[in-house]
Amino acid sequence: MGLQENMRAEQVRTLSLREPVTVSPDEPLNQVVDAMKSHRLGCAIIVDADGKPIGIFTESQLIKLLADESTDFSAPVSSAMESNWPSARDDAPIVEVLNQMTSRNLRFVIVVDAEGNLVGLTGQRGLLEYIADHFPEQVMVQRIGGTPHLNTREGA
Amino acid sequence: MIEEFQDPLENYDPKEYTDPVERALAEEPVTAIHHKPITTISPETPVRDALKTMAALDISCLMVEQKGRLAGVFSERDALMKIGTEPFGDRPVSEFMTSNPIYVHETSASASALCVMAVSGYRHVPIIDLDGNIQGIVSPQRVTEFLTAKLN
Repeated sequence: MGLQENMRAEQVRTLSLREPVTVSPDEPLNQVVDAMKSHRLGCAIIVDADGKPIGIFTESQLIKLLADESTDFSAPVSSAMESNWPSARDDAPIVEVLNQMTSRNLRFVIVVDAEGNLVGLTGQRGLLEYIADHFPEQVMVQRIGGTPHLNTREGA
Repeated sequence: MIEEFQDPLENYDPKEYTDPVERALAEEPVTAIHHKPITTISPETPVRDALKTMAALDISCLMVEQKGRLAGVFSERDALMKIGTEPFGDRPVSEFMTSNPIYVHETSASASALCVMAVSGYRHVPIIDLDGNIQGIVSPQRVTEFLTAKLN
């Protein structure tokens, strides 16, 4: 099957979902940023007491806070979070991830189940890995021409 | 008697794609993805000014250019990992940028930019011409736009 068909037929849950960083709304900003750093993840999901997502804090917001000299990083994350975020059901077709990212202009998509519970995180990265799997030749070319990726030689 | 030369590529047929997305990714050059405008700064720029530029233009990556050549890329990820919440505003951006970024040539297939992103984990892939000059940058957002256009 072709990529276009696959993206319409396969479900979001078949993407490699990432474990999100979740924080409570009153967590201070500097701790949220530290958590994102240690997980090497560009966003944190703010969840309520039941674990349902209520907002997102991303790297882009960090840039805006850093650009403003008066930012107090001990303020709670809820003061800087965005409450409108892209999300997709885990049983939706993969193309929904693309649609969500385009319509909200954010590269993360929060994956939820039918009850709205947090399942995982995907987005640009998950989609790219999915697409790259369809182009093994290109991936090899980049490995040869770009940075060293293989510690051991493949094949003989 | 001299053996007749046989070109080993004679029987080679380029792969044919029936899927429109796959065909676009394999056959259209990386420059078919929006790769402009680009915003460049010099390596000596104080990092606070770089951050202000990013915030004002609502972009997530700056190209660091020295004498027309690509010296590095300064992205949101560099800011998160190397600055975090520390007050480093007065220091030059060259201390925080990703030097030696992985780039693609302008004649490469558009899939190559996506594969750089997927394999290396860098989200911003500079496009360089054969003389080594910066031609543009492909961002995840621009890739999303490209894919959406091909899907519909």
